[in-house]
Order: sequence, then C-alpha cells, then structure tokens
Amino acid sequence: MLNEERVILMTKMEAYAQHEGKKNMQIGKYFRGDYISLQILKSVISVTIAYVVCFAIYILYHLEDFLQDLYKMDIIAFVRNVLLYYGITVVGYGVISYLVYAYRYAKARKSLKNYYNHLKKLNSMYEE
Amino acid sequence: MTGLLEMREKLKLLYSRNEVFVVPVLKFLLAFVTMTVVNGRMGYMNRLDNLAVVLVVSLLCSFLPNGCIIMFAALFSLLHMYALSMEVALVGLCLYLVMFLLFFRFSPKDSLVVLLTPMLFALKIPYVMPIAMGLVGTPASAVSIACGVIVYYFLNHVIGSATAINTLEEGDAIAKLKLLIDGLIDNKAMVVIIAAFAITVIVVYLIRRMSIEYAWTIAMIAGAIVNLIVLLAGDLVYDTNVSVAGAILGAILAVLVGKVIEFFRFCVDYSRTEKVQFEDDEYYYYVKAIPKMTVAAQTKTVKKINTQRRTASRSTSAEGVKPSGNSVRSGSAAGAGTASGRTTGTRTGSTAAAGTRMASTTAAGTRMASTTAAGTRMASGAKTGTVVTERTAVNRRPDTTARGQKSVTINSNMVENTEDDDFYDDFEEWE
Repeated sequence: MLNEERVILMTKMEAYAQHEGKKNMQIGKYFRGDYISLQILKSVISVTIAYVVCFAIYILYHLEDFLQDLYKMDIIAFVRNVLLYYGITVVGYGVISYLVYAYRYAKARKSLKNYYNHLKKLNSMYEE
Repeated sequence: MTGLLEMREKLKLLYSRNEVFVVPVLKFLLAFVTMTVVNGRMGYMNRLDNLAVVLVVSLLCSFLPNGCIIMFAALFSLLHMYALSMEVALVGLCLYLVMFLLFFRFSPKDSLVVLLTPMLFALKIPYVMPIAMGLVGTPASAVSIACGVIVYYFLNHVIGSATAINTLEEGDAIAKLKLLIDGLIDNKAMVVIIAAFAITVIVVYLIRRMSIEYAWTIAMIAGAIVNLIVLLAGDLVYDTNVSVAGAILGAILAVLVGKVIEFFRFCVDYSRTEKVQFEDDEYYYYVKAIPKMTVAAQTKTVKKINTQRRTASRSTSAEGVKPSGNSVRSGSAAGAGTASGRTTGTRTGSTAAAGTRMASTTAAGTRMASTTAAGTRMASGAKTGTVVTERTAVNRRPDTTARGQKSVTINSNMVENTEDDDFYDDFEEWE
C-alpha cells in the first residue's frame, strides 16, 4: 500500500539530492582536513599558473630593459624577489582558500545532517 | 498594488511551472544579445560576424550550462582580438586565464555577473549592477563586478586602440603589448569605478541585512548615494571625467531597478516543479511534484442580462423553464448543458462540483448566477497550482426559454469569495 507521507518525504529528499544535495554529497565524502587540503592544493596550482602567466607578461613588457641590463642586473636578487612575491601570493591566496572552503565544508555538513535526519525518519516509517 | 502582487504571483507560477522551457529561452536570449553586442562592438573577424554563427552558438548555449555563455563570449572576443592582432589576443587570453584561475574557482555561479557588467556598461546603465548585487548577492560579488569592469575597460581600450594597433608594424609586438597593458594599468577611471562599485556592494549588503524597517529601500538609496560620492571624489582626485548628470540618472535608475528586485525578492527562492524517480522494495516511483501557490484574489463581477425584462415576464416564464431543468438533471454537467441547448458549462479542476450543481439548477436563468457563485467559492479555496481557468455561463431569458439565449463569459483565473447580494435577492424572489 502506498504511504502518502512516505512518498512526500522521499520526493523532497530526491529533489534535494538532485539539486543542492549533489554538490554537498561530493563534499561530504571527505573528512574536513582532507577536503580543505585538497582544495588548497588546487588553489596553489591555480595561483602558480596565474603567477607564471603574469610573470610572463611582466617579462614581455620589460623585455627591452631586461635585454639591456641582463649583464648588469643582480639575477639572484631578482629571483629572490620573484620567489618572495610568489610566496606572498600563494600564502595570501591559500589563507583565503582555507577560509572559503572551511566555511563551505561546514555548510555542506550542516545541510547533509538534515538530509540524514530525513533518511532516519524514512527508515523509521518503513519499520512501522 | 494588489494587481502588481497578483502579477508577481502569476509570473512566479508561470516560471515555476514552465522552468524547463523558460530557462533555455532566457539563456538563448542572453547568449544572442551578448554575441550580437560583441560582434557589433568589435567585429574584426568577418566570418564570426555572421547571424547564422550567432544563432547556432546561442542555441548551443540555451541547453549548455550557464558558464558556457561566458566561455563563448570570451571566445568570440578573443577571436576578434586575434583578427586584429595576435598580441592583443595573447593579452586578452592571459587576462581571462588569470581571472578564471584566481576567481572562478571560488564562485562559478557569479560568472554571469562578469558577463552582465560589461553588457550594462554597453547599455550605459552600469550603476545598476552594484546595487542589484548588493541586494541579491554577497560582498564577494564585488570581486565579480570588478572582473566585469576590468573586462569592459580592456575591451573598450582594444576597440579604442584598434587604429593605433593596426598602424604599428607587424614585428613591433612589444609596442602593441605595452600599449594594451599601459591602457589597462593606467586607467584611473577603471580603478575609481571598481572602488565605487565594491564599496557600494558592501554598503548595500550590510544595510539590507540590518533588522530595520525598509532596510532594502534604505540600502539601495544609501548605495546609490555612496556610489555617487565615490565616483565624484574619484573624479576630483584622478580627473576621470565622470559625467555627473549620467551618474545621477544612473543612480536613480539603479534605485528603480532595486525596487523591482525588492518586489520580486521572494521569488528568488521559489519552489519549482520537480520530476523525480526513486524506488523502494515494493514500488518504482515516478513523481512529478508541482508547487503549491497561494494566489492573490481578484474581485469578481457578475454581469446580469435582461434583469428588467425578466422581472416583467417572471409570471409567464416559470412554466417554460421547469421542464428544461428536469431534463438537465438527468444528464451530466457538460452533457446537460449541451443537450438543453441553453446551458453551457466549461470548467476545470476544482469547479467540477460547481458545474454539477449548475446542471441541477438550470430551472431559471438567475439560478445560473447562483452556480457562478458556487464556482466562485470553489475557486477561492483553490490555493493549488491548478486554478480555475475559465467558466462560461449562459443566462437564459425566462420569456424566451425555447428560442433565445445570451451568454456571459467570466474569465477569472482567480476569483474572490464574493457573492452577489442582488442575485440572492432575485433568487429568493424567484423561488
């Protein structure tokens, strides 16, 4: 026999699982530390590529100056500066990534907790 | 105001019911307008500046994810830049890549803002964007808007420098590169606009979140003023040549758009029609869930036809009417209406019961109106999405029972539980 209340609950849960829940369930597969670490790693890779692109443009922009002063300039100091800026960028972006993804993880877990509560309720309906 | 609220509910209902069709159409329109604007403003590659290409791409965008619109728009602009000069395309590609890597990782949903901001700039109404995003978005939207502003100024600079770029020699790639990057970095107007928009987004967001009365209205007015102040201050400091009249008009328009957004704000979190499939040990379920809507009421008017003549000929008509009423009673509602040739009832859903009643009360013309009132009562309780769509009632002239008939059509999607007192007086009198 069809149980109306059960069907309504299942429909709501399925609708959640198809839309908002899909992303949250992906996040929920990870432990907090693993998820945040993975996202920070992705952010570091992204920011590294972006930094390389910006650096390439910078070099192209100042190409004539570089070619002129190539033998005069302190290459080590220049590389140190480049790495320093890179480090600052990566750390800054990493901190922002940490904050964003920690918040998203907490939000997803909260949403999934609600979903699991519905699952428990559904289970109890079947046991009745 | 009631009419507006009703319209809002209708739009909400229409959208939630037909989301499957409405969203692709809107995406198609957005993509079409975007590609057309890009082609119109740039148009350096003749093969791309073609309506057929734009239509094909727009159709593709209509069923692909939202991000594809911005991807195709970026691709179009890059191809036009490539047609102008490879160095320009290279700088454009680097700019898009950096934005994609640093920003879109965090908020891919805001990608449309990056698309809409340059579009609004092209339409000369950019001041709408920060207020709108402050109302519906988060402070992070300031970054999306900033990206949109950068894209607009970059493309604008490319368009403005096209002649200069063409005059430069082929081998002078560095000069072209410098021309573009200088135009982007030294653009004080862009910096001022980014600062003004970012501050506006944050101010609007903070105020509209406050637990004060008219928070939304205060937020949008304060946002418009702050935006104006920062723009004018930037103009004073950096001499950015901001049009004061344009900024004031833009601020007023932004507030008006903000009011429209405020009006529709509850529709943002709408329930949509869901089609889901699942199973348990006993059944497979294929469920289509349609959202319930509480629809605002509309006052109903009932037309009465020939009331004077009816009163005059009341004594002679009763006899002719009753037999037809009896014949109607024996049939179903619609069938009875057709068979009697005097009564037609068209109804859906919740008015079916009223229709049955209508069939049983066709003894007198006035009783038809009674049926209408019954239908009204049914409709007023119908909060569900399925609402009464149309009801046609035929009011019979008592003195011409056998021959003539007049029809009154009441198109009322949503009717209030109002009863016509005159009618009931007439009805009692008739009884």
